[in-house]
Amino acid sequence: MKKPTMFLLILLLTLSVTVGVFAGGKQETKPASIEFWTTETQSSRVSTIQTLVDIFQGINPEIKISVVPVDENDMPKQVAASSAAGNLPAVAETGSENSIDFGSSGLLDMKEATKIINSIGKSAFYAGPLSMLESPNKGSYYALPYHGWIQGLWYRSDWFKNAGLNPPNTWESIEKAAKTFYKPDKNQYGILVGTKAENYAEQCFTQIAISNKARIFTSDGKLIFNSPAMKEAVQYYAKLAKYNPPGPQTWRARDYYIQQKMAMFFYSTYIMDDLALADVAASSLTGKNFENLKGASFDSNLVTQTGFAPIITHKQPSSYGVIVALNIFKQKKAADTAAAEKFLKYMYTEDAYVTFLHMAPGGMNPVIKKIAASDKFMNDPKGIFKKYGKKKIQSIIAGLEDIKRFGIVGGKLIPQYGKIFSQKIIPQMIYKITQENADVDKSMSWAEGEMKKIVE
Amino acid sequence: MAVKAPALRGNRMIAKAHALRIEEERFGWKLILPSVIIIGSLIIYPIIYNMYLSLFDVKLQGANIYIGLQNYKNVLSDPSFWHAVLTTFIYVISTTIGTTLIGLGVALVMVKNFPFRGLVRALILLPYIAPVISVVFSWQFFFDPVNGLFMHVTYDMLHLFDKRFNLIGSPQNAVIVAIIFNIWRSFPFSYLMILSRLQSIDSSGYEAAEIDGASSWQKFRYITFPELYFVIGSIVILRVIWNFNKFEDVYLLTDNVKVLSVYTYFKAFTGVMDQGQGAALALIQFLLLIGFILFYVKKVLKW
Repeated sequence: MKKPTMFLLILLLTLSVTVGVFAGGKQETKPASIEFWTTETQSSRVSTIQTLVDIFQGINPEIKISVVPVDENDMPKQVAASSAAGNLPAVAETGSENSIDFGSSGLLDMKEATKIINSIGKSAFYAGPLSMLESPNKGSYYALPYHGWIQGLWYRSDWFKNAGLNPPNTWESIEKAAKTFYKPDKNQYGILVGTKAENYAEQCFTQIAISNKARIFTSDGKLIFNSPAMKEAVQYYAKLAKYNPPGPQTWRARDYYIQQKMAMFFYSTYIMDDLALADVAASSLTGKNFENLKGASFDSNLVTQTGFAPIITHKQPSSYGVIVALNIFKQKKAADTAAAEKFLKYMYTEDAYVTFLHMAPGGMNPVIKKIAASDKFMNDPKGIFKKYGKKKIQSIIAGLEDIKRFGIVGGKLIPQYGKIFSQKIIPQMIYKITQENADVDKSMSWAEGEMKKIVE
Repeated sequence: MAVKAPALRGNRMIAKAHALRIEEERFGWKLILPSVIIIGSLIIYPIIYNMYLSLFDVKLQGANIYIGLQNYKNVLSDPSFWHAVLTTFIYVISTTIGTTLIGLGVALVMVKNFPFRGLVRALILLPYIAPVISVVFSWQFFFDPVNGLFMHVTYDMLHLFDKRFNLIGSPQNAVIVAIIFNIWRSFPFSYLMILSRLQSIDSSGYEAAEIDGASSWQKFRYITFPELYFVIGSIVILRVIWNFNKFEDVYLLTDNVKVLSVYTYFKAFTGVMDQGQGAALALIQFLLLIGFILFYVKKVLKW
């Protein structure tokens, strides 16, 4: 029997016994049927989540939960459509920007989310992820932080060493390395930055822009997008994009790195298992049909030949990460809200939580301190954390405390940014400049105009 | 009394016939009622609701605000709309001409007898019957700038270009690729329609023309083409309708080609999600298409 299956069976038995013991003192929940939307669309993840839900339903037979996988890029429009149709899901897993967007649009049951956070205990969470989801009314939260990742530049440390280059952690060192390794005639590329009008482009750009102290808003919510610092960042980003593989690119082009055709790429810690495990990397390789192509087979040394630069420094150090939250949407029936509450509390129990996080070791990091320190969490089924070492894993997770986002300025949350992110204004601007050769000033004015429509 | 009897009988028969006609009409209505309900609820209602929505500033949350014809003014004064109209015309005209001509050419070859004709005929239909998503992925893989076979052959082996490029992704090439993709995918339909008509043309006309010494072109011009006129006319109108509204082929292959349907989608569901303008755009697209159909049916098909 496979390890994860065995683990889930043990989890089911443990929870059944626990519930059996404490059931007498528990309040009965009315029958409810709710939906849980998740952005984990890969079939293996859907199946793990379904198992977690099945266990929960086994313990709470009066509650029925339907798991609905939704692509993260489609989440805003799916929510908008279901809101218009009056059938919002009870619980959804989304990025924190989406949570802020939904919350500021009045779709979320913030009272319920705050209640659950308080019942878990605020001090149990890392402060960074929690503050990212705090509404301007202090002490009230849009949604519950659940897991997070940090982004940085993953690079071929052996190539850099051989070329006598410094790690890519400043504007100068990044550009120099990208230029050095850009050899299109040999089908090798210097860097990957997002240039397609998708969220990935904004993720890459944010880290660059913030390292230049470029902001979209002031701390009092004034729009300052079209600034000299932002223009400098846009121009620098467009320069880096010239060392990309041809055409508009998004995160999927990270495959070229695994195929050893690229020197560095922006990516989150989600990549850790792809770099370390042959079976995970298989979908990024050119496959058995093209054995003669370079990069067709998995290189087990890649994990040790890869460095990680999570902080970029120019005028200031900047790191980027994402907090993924569990949102509770306003429900017509109180029984559905109660069922959502019960389900969310269950998702924070150690066994369920660790099972969820182990779907993507490195990509899904806990926001609860106790879980991050637990041996159960460190002992992931594929042994990925062991390949990197406990120290590196702990430092990655601690990095969640310091992530900088456009939507948070001087410790204040700017709710309008959630809408700007959802509507992909910056990625569209980047696409215009890098792919359609549009003028930087005109494109920035266009983007600012679109942002004004939201802010005003 | 004797005089009145036939008149009474006649009146009774008229009344009976009238009752029968009413009964038949009722029966007819009962038969078409399911269709009327389905068409009404799935086509007529959305069109009317779309018209209504186009007069509002649509709020995803809260009440919509009535703004009259402002959405139409905004759409018509937006240069990107006119760019989308131009792209749509280029796309529709090129794909319609391409699919029809290639369909015609292939049908003229396939009507002749040659070994394995049945197998070749079946293979030609493959692009049309294969699911669009699998075909799109094949094309994307084929034209991938780094690992694709197209670049491998044209750049690495034949050295036809001085650098690798992203044929599908690049906004400069994307419309051409979308056109070629649609022609490749849709020509089997034209081929099938034309072939079925070609097979029913009486051979005696050709025999007579041969006796008169007509050339191949003359036989095509004066015998084949008049026989195919209405088939080709129907193919053209169907292809225009389908390609004018084409979304999935274009959007899945490349999101750089903003034909009207893709442009409307971007306007209504991405960016600032302006669904009022999206509704106005959909109606304008509908009116443009209806205008073309009316003109075409009257002038070309002469119905």
